[in-house]
Amino acid sequence: MTTSESSHSRASTVYFGSSNRTTLRKTFIACAVLSGALLLVVILMSLVGSERLPAGASLCALLSFGRSQCTLTSDQFDILFQIRLPRILLAAAVGGSLATAGASYQALLRNPLAEPYLLGISNGAAVGTMIALVFFGATEWSRPLLAFVGALLATLAVYRLARGRAGATPERLVLAGVIVTTFLSSVIVFVTTLMDATRIRSFTFWLLGDLSGTSKNLLPVAIAIAVVGTVVLTANARSLNLLMLGERDAFDLGVEVGRVRIVVFLVASLLVGSSVAASGSVGYVGLVVPHLARLSLGSDNRLSIPAAALGGALFVIVADTAARTLIAPRELPVGAITALIGAPLFIYLLKRT
Amino acid sequence: MLEARDLTIKYGERVAVANVSLTLAPGQISAIIGPNGAGKSTFLQALNGQLGPTSGVVLLDGQPLEKLNRRTIGRRIAVVAQEAELRFPITVLEFVLGGRFAWAASASWGWETEHDIDVANAVLHETELFELSGRLMNELSGGERQRAVLARALATEAVVLLLDEPTANLDISHQSTLLALVRGRCDNHGASALVVTHDINLAAQFADNVLLMKDGHTISSGRPEEVLTPGLLRDVFEVIVLVDAHPITGVPRITTVHETHRQV
Amino acid sequence: MCLGLTLVLPFGCSRRENSTPQTSQTFREVTDDAGRRVAVPFRIDRIISLAPNLTEIIYAIGAGDSLVGDTSYCDYPPAAKTVEKVGDTLHPSMGKRIALRPQLVVVSTASQLEVFTHQLETQNIAVFVTNPHDLEGVFRSINQLGTILDHDDQARQLVGQLRSRTAAVEAAVKTTQPVRVFYQLSAEPLYTAGRDAFVTDLIRRAGGLSVTAGVSGAWPKYSAESALAARPEAIILPTGGSMGAGNATVAEPLQRSPAVEQGKVYRINDDHLVRPGPRAVDGLEEMARSLHPDAFKL
Repeated sequence: MTTSESSHSRASTVYFGSSNRTTLRKTFIACAVLSGALLLVVILMSLVGSERLPAGASLCALLSFGRSQCTLTSDQFDILFQIRLPRILLAAAVGGSLATAGASYQALLRNPLAEPYLLGISNGAAVGTMIALVFFGATEWSRPLLAFVGALLATLAVYRLARGRAGATPERLVLAGVIVTTFLSSVIVFVTTLMDATRIRSFTFWLLGDLSGTSKNLLPVAIAIAVVGTVVLTANARSLNLLMLGERDAFDLGVEVGRVRIVVFLVASLLVGSSVAASGSVGYVGLVVPHLARLSLGSDNRLSIPAAALGGALFVIVADTAARTLIAPRELPVGAITALIGAPLFIYLLKRT
Repeated sequence: MLEARDLTIKYGERVAVANVSLTLAPGQISAIIGPNGAGKSTFLQALNGQLGPTSGVVLLDGQPLEKLNRRTIGRRIAVVAQEAELRFPITVLEFVLGGRFAWAASASWGWETEHDIDVANAVLHETELFELSGRLMNELSGGERQRAVLARALATEAVVLLLDEPTANLDISHQSTLLALVRGRCDNHGASALVVTHDINLAAQFADNVLLMKDGHTISSGRPEEVLTPGLLRDVFEVIVLVDAHPITGVPRITTVHETHRQV
Repeated sequence: MCLGLTLVLPFGCSRRENSTPQTSQTFREVTDDAGRRVAVPFRIDRIISLAPNLTEIIYAIGAGDSLVGDTSYCDYPPAAKTVEKVGDTLHPSMGKRIALRPQLVVVSTASQLEVFTHQLETQNIAVFVTNPHDLEGVFRSINQLGTILDHDDQARQLVGQLRSRTAAVEAAVKTTQPVRVFYQLSAEPLYTAGRDAFVTDLIRRAGGLSVTAGVSGAWPKYSAESALAARPEAIILPTGGSMGAGNATVAEPLQRSPAVEQGKVYRINDDHLVRPGPRAVDGLEEMARSLHPDAFKL
């Protein structure tokens, strides 16, 4: 018998560098490049919008961190720093949160299709937000808090439903996700019917993803949650690497499976909750971005989770820029753009693997 | 050293394992054989804490398993089982490096050290997978993948190896190779191994100690020659067997005798 | 009207055979705003209105007695509240509508029409569509309903009054400079009135220039940047009617606009601005007085 009976086909993934594994150095380089790209995109997209701003002066003002007005009128300055930049940063926080949550669910549940939107977790957060709006309308904090609770409850529901004798197989998981999603969707529709026409229109728009919300207080919270959440999940990346291969394998090799599962569920729910509370349901980010990250950088979560975070931020910033410029001065829901890009991209990715 | 004392495992009313005891001594390979539903795999799962026993205790170096944390157990006990379906692309090297998890300095973060890489490479050489280190796991054949699973278990440098049907999907050449590797570990590093297998002849060839189970009970335990007797095997497997000595190795050789043969 | 004996049929209406409500009816043919030719009985005692503005018109021309069903939003005049509720185009209560055996159903929107007009037509219930885009359209609707409900005189009289009030307003603001107005439908998310919105016409007549008059659509979601850059001189907040207490504050991007700085933020009953009915002229007058107070000093 020959030593290798395997096919001599090339590896279908591209592991940049010649190494057979992901190293600290590779991770560092990849994250540095992505961070640079993110910074570039933030600056470039700040120059784009429904109102024309002089590029040179805007760039000058941006690079001075807003300290100098650089020949911009005060209106232009306000547009740049009070409207555009906060919106771009919010897009980054939402994109990063959703992509990280998606990557973590996929690793933990061993399912490349696990995504906050598809599993109904986004809907859970949306229901939580609706309850906050209807019953605690005045308080700003009630929305992210109840969104988190909604996301967590939806996660638990999906997990319990999916758990059979043989553990949560991907088929059972997808089925459980469909059940929870559709159930919560009908709850949302039901509550919507109790609203009047104007509220319905604005709520439907929000449900599809709307980053134009102007809660100045919640932006730093959203960013903080995105950063902290990504750090915590990356800290569990090595355990997730093993869990990705099988719960039993991971257990045998020394992973505290129960503890890691709790951490991932809690943190991912927090990430999804804060995103949905801020901007409604932006779908496909948690599905497509982690896939792309793994395809190009490998499955090692120590790299693919932070890479997904940065990539998700990039993706949603670009999608949101399209949403707010394509039919300017009107706006489109950003969730529609992410779906328009995400769905075909996902089909293409499926065909490749 | 791993010791199971009077282990009973029940699923509700159903008794899967009843009062089974076993000691895995260093340098020894033990084999568990028995028909389907005898409780072999269930018993094995209790030995590293996967399943909690209803009664009885498992002692690792004198300490009960419940008192030890997963990483400690992971450093001393390794499992080779049917490999779960791989849904994400991963190279052979990355897969084998997974075995070094329990040795990481911190609980879950951290990167592999030079030593980890050396151990992984050594094990890859040992299992003749070194040339395939950069390949993706799902590009390997079934036999190669099973060797990779063994390589990962060996990479943990555990002193106790638990193997659940490790040769199920392997052809005869690879079956012997794999068990020879285990034998080597036990002889050279003082490891102890427990192999659950359907293949009685393999057990006879490699094991120092055989445990015969049926319906959760220990029917017999001891050296292969003592346990693998026609009488006991007929009672347990309900089949007629012929046991003679292998002409070259001298170990018991078991062949079944079918109705059709008796016509002759 | 036998409201007390009305049965509520289950949903999923089955096709009945020719169950024309009355016996020998003579019909006239009219063309509605959707270009449909509708056969309408000469005498109408039972009519259902599926839009608040049409309910108001029906009462205003004195035909309130023939109203047997209206929507939950129909709250003016107060008598309309006591009429049997049959849902609206967004949440149709088909069974109820059919059970009330109306001779005519009047609708004020062109959306979702095909779905239920067909159902109603199979029950031999005529559906008349109105679609007023502007004030002229309102006058047309009033005249149409006057003809159909045989209250021509009242209709003509009403339209005459409304026209003269409108003319008075337009004359008063003729010599003034149009004020740049931002109409805020909701603050978060930011919605405004576009080209096709009814209120855009009212704003123009009231001596205002809606900064979003050129934006496509009726109720576009608007860019915060553009709202800020528009620097409107006045802001109109529709609130207090069907909207309740909502929409009473100016949206964030407009907080530093000239309108806010000079205190030119006007809260007007939203029902006067959004319903294409007689009270739209009230809304017109309120807006004109707010935008050009000097022109109405006398």
